[in-house]
Amino acid sequence: MAQLATAWAIFQGLLLEALPFLLIGVGIASLARWLAPGGAWLRQLPAHPLLGPLTGAALGFALPACECGNVPVARRLLAGGAPVGTALGFLFAAPVLNPIVLASTWAAFPNQPWLLAARPGAALLLAVLLATVLRLLPEAELLDPVLLEERRLSQPLTQVGLLERRSGLVGAIGAKVQPVKVARPPLQEVLQHGSREFLDLAALLVLGCAIAATVQTLLPRSWLLAVGGAPTISVLSLMLLAVVVSVCSSVDAFLALGFAAQVTPGALLAFLVLGPVVDLKLLGLFRVLFKPKAIALTSAAAAVAVLVLGQWVNLLRL
Amino acid sequence: MGQFAAAVMRAFALGLWGAVLLQSSLSGRLDLLLSSVFHPLVALSGVALLLLAGLLLRGQESPAPSRRQAIPKIWWLSAAVALLVLAIPPNPSFSTLAANRPAELGDETELSFVLPPAQRSLTDWVRLLRSQPDPSLYAGDPVRISGFVLPQPGEPPQLARLLVRCCLADATPVGLPVRWPAGRPPRADQWLAVEGTMAIEERNGQSRSVVVAQRISAIARPKRPLEP
Repeated sequence: MAQLATAWAIFQGLLLEALPFLLIGVGIASLARWLAPGGAWLRQLPAHPLLGPLTGAALGFALPACECGNVPVARRLLAGGAPVGTALGFLFAAPVLNPIVLASTWAAFPNQPWLLAARPGAALLLAVLLATVLRLLPEAELLDPVLLEERRLSQPLTQVGLLERRSGLVGAIGAKVQPVKVARPPLQEVLQHGSREFLDLAALLVLGCAIAATVQTLLPRSWLLAVGGAPTISVLSLMLLAVVVSVCSSVDAFLALGFAAQVTPGALLAFLVLGPVVDLKLLGLFRVLFKPKAIALTSAAAAVAVLVLGQWVNLLRL
Repeated sequence: MGQFAAAVMRAFALGLWGAVLLQSSLSGRLDLLLSSVFHPLVALSGVALLLLAGLLLRGQESPAPSRRQAIPKIWWLSAAVALLVLAIPPNPSFSTLAANRPAELGDETELSFVLPPAQRSLTDWVRLLRSQPDPSLYAGDPVRISGFVLPQPGEPPQLARLLVRCCLADATPVGLPVRWPAGRPPRADQWLAVEGTMAIEERNGQSRSVVVAQRISAIARPKRPLEP
């Protein structure tokens, strides 16, 4: 009974701590949607193999949202004809490289400054790596067919063969496609969109906090220590946890806090870096962007990279 | 479900979470759950959510352009959880919580200043003993501390406090060994004020400081039981 009461209190603590950060994240994403609808400026981005993903990643500071908010934005980037590398860099790194996520990481781990540097650094590295790997696939094998069709329409004919487009004038070579002007949505619509996003994410947060509080209180400490203290197994188990819990990146630091005392530093970093890139909730969301093969490639590459990273951090810090 | 009902449900769910945050701030519940740095943030977020719910409801008076929507089942679930949080206040067992945590104080071993012995809190004592562990420095010093009873495997229970940097999930126990008067040992989780003196005892071949309790009184759990 005492354990149940304690788990309930930890659950409330985690939830009440995380909800304000979730609200700030959704609020800023809504504001960006209202101020820059359509994001015409997003199309003027570099296509360089390294510069592209880095620019995409840096966009996180302009459009701070957690990973669920980023998927629709990345889709709009790709549909609008932005370079694939830039859009992927944004998709994978922006959920960590933004002020809200860095603030919540700092709030949760004020005594571990290395984590505040290692988390964005590792996220950036992972994003560049994933963008590089995924660019090896031709666009037709990478992108979801519906998205690809929208993208072809936005690309100039000099870049796309006529057979790759279902519409377009024969002979209209190099015709510049005017980006569609998107009108600023009414405030009420932005509010409705933001509130839906908040409630969806809050529900996932409730589940994540429940899992974290239960694991922390009800599992015997000897189990946690046995799993958490072993370098490889601790990294693997926290990676699995990140995938299952699916909490958004603006609040996942608070959940990690619950395990921080029992696990190796590499496992902690693995949890904070893998979660924003691959989790159960994202695998669903990714289907609006990628073909299943590309989703599988993303998950596998991210898992291997994060495992290596976690091991390396353990070597350095244990 | 009609669009109006869906919009009302959305406003209701947002308002409910706003009420949870605001009620937690006003009722002092946060003192038991979060480090005080975050209390204003929680209260402000509660107000913002309630305002947002109001704005959404007002907007529904004019015909909205969005299409017909179903309400995700997960919203009902989270609304039910919000109601439960409102209805059942937290009542954690500090000793159960502490039993699952390693007692580490982090790297802060340097103390900038030290209070006179009788004014030191339990946490002050633990920090002082970590930075200067020689027990002979403190033998005979008067001690007046309060905390909860934390059972220890294979030895008498300690008097302890929880340190919290962020929220209850990162609570770290700090405890002082106590030589309790003969008779009934104190109950786990009980809050006590202890007056006594510091002494030296041998345990496992090492000498350490121990509080010899002379006057013990049961106290209510403090309003702000967590220490930074």
